[in-house]
Amino acid sequence: MSAWIVVAAVGAGSFLFRISMLVVAARIGLPPVVERAAGHAVPVSFAALAAAALAEHVAAAGAVIAPAGAVAVAVVAVRRTGLPHAALAAGMPTLWVLTAVLPS
Amino acid sequence: MLTSTVAAPPEHRPSRSTTASSLHRSDRRRHLLAGARAMAPWLLGVAPFGLVIGVSAARADIPTLAGWLTGPLIFGGSAQVATIQLLDSGAAPAVAIVAGLAVNLRLILYSATMARHWQGTPRWWQGLAAALLVDPTLAVGADGYGRAATPRQGHLHYMGGAVVLLATWVAAITVGATVGTALPDALQLELVIPLFLIGEIVPRLTDRATRRAVGVAIALGALGLWVPLHLGVLLAIGGGLVTALVPAGPGTAVDVEAGEADR
Repeated sequence: MSAWIVVAAVGAGSFLFRISMLVVAARIGLPPVVERAAGHAVPVSFAALAAAALAEHVAAAGAVIAPAGAVAVAVVAVRRTGLPHAALAAGMPTLWVLTAVLPS
Repeated sequence: MLTSTVAAPPEHRPSRSTTASSLHRSDRRRHLLAGARAMAPWLLGVAPFGLVIGVSAARADIPTLAGWLTGPLIFGGSAQVATIQLLDSGAAPAVAIVAGLAVNLRLILYSATMARHWQGTPRWWQGLAAALLVDPTLAVGADGYGRAATPRQGHLHYMGGAVVLLATWVAAITVGATVGTALPDALQLELVIPLFLIGEIVPRLTDRATRRAVGVAIALGALGLWVPLHLGVLLAIGGGLVTALVPAGPGTAVDVEAGEADR
């Protein structure tokens, strides 16, 4: 029973987060500092999420070189092509190859 | 399907003349499809992640349907993972709730990002659009509003991407919860999302303030692995934003509007 309550509570709370600043903005307007912070939300949030996921993978798998190599190749691929999805197209094959050839 | 199920906010509807209406219909379809197309690259990363979450839900010591419901209800992969993992490990319900919500606290910032675009739209539109607000829809939506000639075009672009994302996300979790347990661990699909996020970050490193902020967020995000209740990500985002907002010296002032125009 508690699993259902937890899922419903996290879902409801997440929706309140999503709607919160719309309500605030409609009533009192967004503070300038929030407006400025919002302009950086995408790269900063994505960087934090990516770093946390990579660190968790490294801690669980115990391998550093293969994921680090995949990240490096992904960054170079995006810089060279200017295409965001080049990271995935180049990074995942690199990860698989390095995992296969490097000693575990 | 998209054009028949998704409507634009009423105050943006055009006149009722037949010509304008038919033109408007094709215009609406065009912007909805443009949003769906812009979401397509994200689906390459989202679908495997959804599969992994579906598998986790099926393997966890909770009802599979409860795990599946995290998809449409929580609609945020990291928070879903945190919630499912903590429930599976037997954590107290309050701990699982706090952890799941802590991971999703960044949605307040996303809400602030989209508030300026959604002000003046009807409540039902704001509720629907907000319910679909998450990392991919933020990225596709912000980009769409930046390119759109009118707010209405931006709304359609956002909703086109958001509906496709929701459908894909729920489908991927469903497949993962039912047949995904056969996927080999050697694929390391858990790295699909971080690699895709890297692809979204790199083109946005257009000014020094953003580069500093991203550097701090990466460092804190990696170190945050040892912070309890999955609060490390939240601390990393906070640290990155503070870094972005505090000028480091001459020539580093943040011009948010210019930065967005670069995207």
